[in-house]
Amino acid sequence: MDSTEMTNKPENTNAAPESKYWMSLDQWRQDPEFAKLAEREFLSSPLQSDDGKDGWARREFLKLMGASIALTSFGCVRRPAQKIIPYAKKPAEVVHGIPNFYASSYQDGMEGLGILVTTRDGRPIKIEGNPDHPANLGTMSARAHASILKLYDPDRFTSAKRNLQNETRSNRETINVKWEDLDKAVVEQLQKGRAAMLLGTEMSPSTTSLMDEFAQSFNIQLYQYDDLPYDSMAEAQKLAYGERALPVLHFDKARLVVAINTDFMGTWYEPVRFQRDFMSVRKKRDQDINRLVVFESLLTLTGSNADQRYRIRPSQSLAIVMGLLNEIVVTRKASRYAHDDSVLRVISAFAKGSADLGLNLGELAEELIHNKGRSLVVTGGPLSDTEEAVALQVATSFLNAVLENDGHTIDPASSRIPGQRGQGIGELLAAIKAGQIKTLIVHRCNPVYTMPAGSPLREALAGLEMIIYTGDRNDETARYADYIATDHHALENWSDMRTPTGVLSIQQPTIQPLYRTRAFQDSLISWMKTADRGPARVKGAENWYEYLRQNWRDQLAPKVADRSFDDLWNEILEKGVVAGSATPAASRTFSVAALATVKPTARKTGFELTLYPTVALRDGSLANVSWLQELPDPVTKATWDNYVMVSPRDAAQLKLKEGQHVTLTVDGRTLTVPAHIQPGLADGAIGVALGYGRVGAGQVADGVGQNAYTLARWADGRRVFAGLETSVKVESKVTPLAITQGHHTMEGRQIVVEETLADFLAKPGGGIHRHPSGPKYEMWGGEKGHKYVGNKWGMVVDLNTCTGCSACVIACQSENNIPTVGKRYVIEGREMHWLRIDRYYTGTPEDPDTVHQPMLCQHCENAPCEVVCPVAATVHSDEGTNDMIYNRCVGTRYCSNNCPYKVRRFNWFDFTQYESPRHLALNPEVTVRNRGVMEKCTFCIHRIRYHKSQAKLEDRPLKADEFTTACAQACPTNAIIFGDLNNQESAVAQEFNKPYSYSVLSELNTKPVLHYQVSIRNAEHLKGAPKHREEGHHS
Amino acid sequence: MTKKIMGAVVTLGLLGGLAAFIWALTNNKVVIGYNKGYMPDQPIPFSHKLHAGNYKIDCKYCHTSVEVSRHASIPSLNICMNCHLVVKPDSPWIQKIAEAYNSGHSVAWQKVHLLPDHVKFNHAPHIKAGKDCTVCHGPVQEMEKIYQHESMAMGWCVNCHRQPENNAPTNCSTCHF
Repeated sequence: MDSTEMTNKPENTNAAPESKYWMSLDQWRQDPEFAKLAEREFLSSPLQSDDGKDGWARREFLKLMGASIALTSFGCVRRPAQKIIPYAKKPAEVVHGIPNFYASSYQDGMEGLGILVTTRDGRPIKIEGNPDHPANLGTMSARAHASILKLYDPDRFTSAKRNLQNETRSNRETINVKWEDLDKAVVEQLQKGRAAMLLGTEMSPSTTSLMDEFAQSFNIQLYQYDDLPYDSMAEAQKLAYGERALPVLHFDKARLVVAINTDFMGTWYEPVRFQRDFMSVRKKRDQDINRLVVFESLLTLTGSNADQRYRIRPSQSLAIVMGLLNEIVVTRKASRYAHDDSVLRVISAFAKGSADLGLNLGELAEELIHNKGRSLVVTGGPLSDTEEAVALQVATSFLNAVLENDGHTIDPASSRIPGQRGQGIGELLAAIKAGQIKTLIVHRCNPVYTMPAGSPLREALAGLEMIIYTGDRNDETARYADYIATDHHALENWSDMRTPTGVLSIQQPTIQPLYRTRAFQDSLISWMKTADRGPARVKGAENWYEYLRQNWRDQLAPKVADRSFDDLWNEILEKGVVAGSATPAASRTFSVAALATVKPTARKTGFELTLYPTVALRDGSLANVSWLQELPDPVTKATWDNYVMVSPRDAAQLKLKEGQHVTLTVDGRTLTVPAHIQPGLADGAIGVALGYGRVGAGQVADGVGQNAYTLARWADGRRVFAGLETSVKVESKVTPLAITQGHHTMEGRQIVVEETLADFLAKPGGGIHRHPSGPKYEMWGGEKGHKYVGNKWGMVVDLNTCTGCSACVIACQSENNIPTVGKRYVIEGREMHWLRIDRYYTGTPEDPDTVHQPMLCQHCENAPCEVVCPVAATVHSDEGTNDMIYNRCVGTRYCSNNCPYKVRRFNWFDFTQYESPRHLALNPEVTVRNRGVMEKCTFCIHRIRYHKSQAKLEDRPLKADEFTTACAQACPTNAIIFGDLNNQESAVAQEFNKPYSYSVLSELNTKPVLHYQVSIRNAEHLKGAPKHREEGHHS
Repeated sequence: MTKKIMGAVVTLGLLGGLAAFIWALTNNKVVIGYNKGYMPDQPIPFSHKLHAGNYKIDCKYCHTSVEVSRHASIPSLNICMNCHLVVKPDSPWIQKIAEAYNSGHSVAWQKVHLLPDHVKFNHAPHIKAGKDCTVCHGPVQEMEKIYQHESMAMGWCVNCHRQPENNAPTNCSTCHF
């Protein structure tokens, strides 16, 4: 065999400028440091310490050696005696070793998801999507998966608490209090009158009606406050359509989506549904796929999926919308408003400002006109919450009205999220100041953490007689409270949910309350009963469950003639969701008078700061969940910290290095955070993530990052998160950021294949750089090759619909007992994720395109890892999986060294030692790996085993697509398909060999059973995409 | 001189001993770290000989999940009380069980057959394949006190899986995942 033919030298080994896909700025610049890093490939070595010198590392190494010797000398004794404690009275539905699934609901901010909770022996271990719930159809967000860890959070309060406060609420001592004593004190205070409740959005109709009855019986004022507000949007909807609401958006009906500083895929109000709807159109791969145009200041998840992306400063958002209106209504007269003088006057006021943008909006306007009724323009969320956010929202609504999207892509049933109230925290603070309120109950929000430092909240709270908080830990607001009526975790409590689309679902407890906590609703009922107030149906209900059930019987449950309510109730509990409960549509029209609010504002110079929510932490309420802290940000790939994002050009001007501290000053308030130089940012735009800098949230969250909410501007009862004029001072201190990207270099080969829509339609997969294969190239080919006679498991990842949202990463972590390692070890490259999402940029650092690629074990047919293991701890199965046998592994790490995909993880320390009750979340189906063992994706082999065994027990063959892996199950856009390649009926077998499917690093002839599919960009050109190069090719 | 001979004898003896030990180890004559023959005292001296031997109660009457689950499962106390509400209620041991049953604080049995966490043995398919419980657990119907009859070492498992008539998988991931 000719050796030259055997080796397909990778092209572009020397990185930029030829290599067009780059993973970090250092690589792009050909930084010598990066070259060193790339050469070393692994940052982790047992003898490497932080500074690269031989400091602690050797001591630690000796310590570990000592421990190992001590352990081995005990190797021959009898195994420790264990006990088996059976049930005294076994519940009929529990079978040891077989999971039970309970349908329930999960609310995260404004997002309502139907969930299926996997419980084993009475304890929930995983949250999955409920396939019957229309909001998510069995898929899931990363946060919803991770919320299970909050149940087993060791920092939760275990009972009701009382704070002994002094007058300024600064000197506190937290003591336990009996529920009876709490009830007595609270009721006594409530009976004095002048009480108020501050409530986060509550999507439960039964809870809402109970709260209303409670408020009525004690004459309590209700105020609305959400940690991440949608006030400007709701306000604008009220001006434009007469109702305070969040509209129901249908991305699946839009062919052209324009997002202006809106992260609708990552952090807006229903990201799971929005992603799925959007990608359901993109999945068609025909000429009718949708197009996403994004105008944004930062680089968000949505922006990273844009077909065309424009960088703007936050203050320019309004000018973009008005510029588009100008092109459509004034220049092209393509609207029935074209002759409405009041409209024209408003638009013409912006003519100059829009022209100054220097963007050619005409083309986009043409496209929008062409797609009338099939387009969608969106703005909203903190990213566009500038001073003029309400005007921006009104203008956007008007643009949608001009484009006739109302009734098509925007549901005319302006859905009212239950619990949306007109009065906000601004009114509350005024009422407290006026002495109208003496008692405050705070539920489902954490205002002391999320209110700006410049707001009068703290002084107002200090002036109250009593504050009652329903939080579950000693957090920011809890410290101001007198009594903490500790609420249950959602998995311990009954409730129900109505999503914005009107779908009703039930929330049922999946575990007995772990501690002596009490449902918020039970607290309300208890207080009403203690005071002997409230309507008869409250007095008649023994507890919250009785009330809820009665409320369903009376109000919510559909009336079915031939069935008793009990039967119906059982059916609802089983399904979790009430079929066909979406509300019917009612039409609405835009009120032109609302345009009066839209006025041009002065141009801003200097840095404009945006405080943005991240995909993982969003409002910060789940900050104590280590999975989310260690989840790499989909775009920056940073973990365990927040930082200020600066564009490369601004960084150069400021002479700023990565990780160098920067002091930001907004209205005299300062915050010092490390800097991260982020490609794709608009010059002059900087951003800091919300959700960090918690105080008292627990051992994971405390001390991680800085609280950016403090920098928000308090403007007239509304928080301003974007377009904050900021002065920037560079400090000398540098701290490294725990960014996972530089660890996994792919050396500029064709890893992600992108094609423009035109190219794809002309020849699907034409851009794929195919490499020769065949028996000639097989090391174990022909007779000796693997035969897969039974099942052959395989996977297809569709890069066209993968958004990079990272739900799969957390799903995998939850399913497979994957530990977190902490910031320090992430910096050392020791993170344990079996599934990571690689993110590559194309084009220039100033204005790149972004691609995402989930990367996990490829289960190669010719696996390089298998041949180098000296103890056969990683072997090939006859079902095509690459098995990892933990008990054989001696930790040489040769396999990891030899893996071209860098997907093997080594457990350097006992990262799996969990304190109680955290260990209750472990999945007993998957071995908990200990120190010194290599681990990696198993294709969820335990699920394969379980379902094969089930099929065998039922004397039937395994059905096609009977089950799937945790990652595929979670994916909101179904970009991951898993199944049996030998079963031609399975989805994966049909997709595997499509012309646009390819395997990564095929030149190595590893023959992965994981194929990727080409990403289509609906644009004319790809930014700096590599040409298909023929030289160096062998046929 | 004698010293030298003594030294040689000792060295040879040690080497011989080591060789014998290695032979015994590799030929399953001694098994280290496995619990073959392990027979711990139980909090209640339940006799399998009496129940399964004399009265011929089917194993599956108590070990209810053996046909459907990974675990055969130790019976919950309500299964004991099915009979013992009326059978021998005066026995002090039965009274102890009744007390545990009524109070809800169950009995902590000593685990006899203990596989490491990285071994995922699944009972159900073995029963489905028609294997009798005694194939692995030995003559339980004769055991006054239950003990581990086989080594339950991997070699012992694989030996059976390799028999062509069993048609059993021998992938590592059959048991290790």
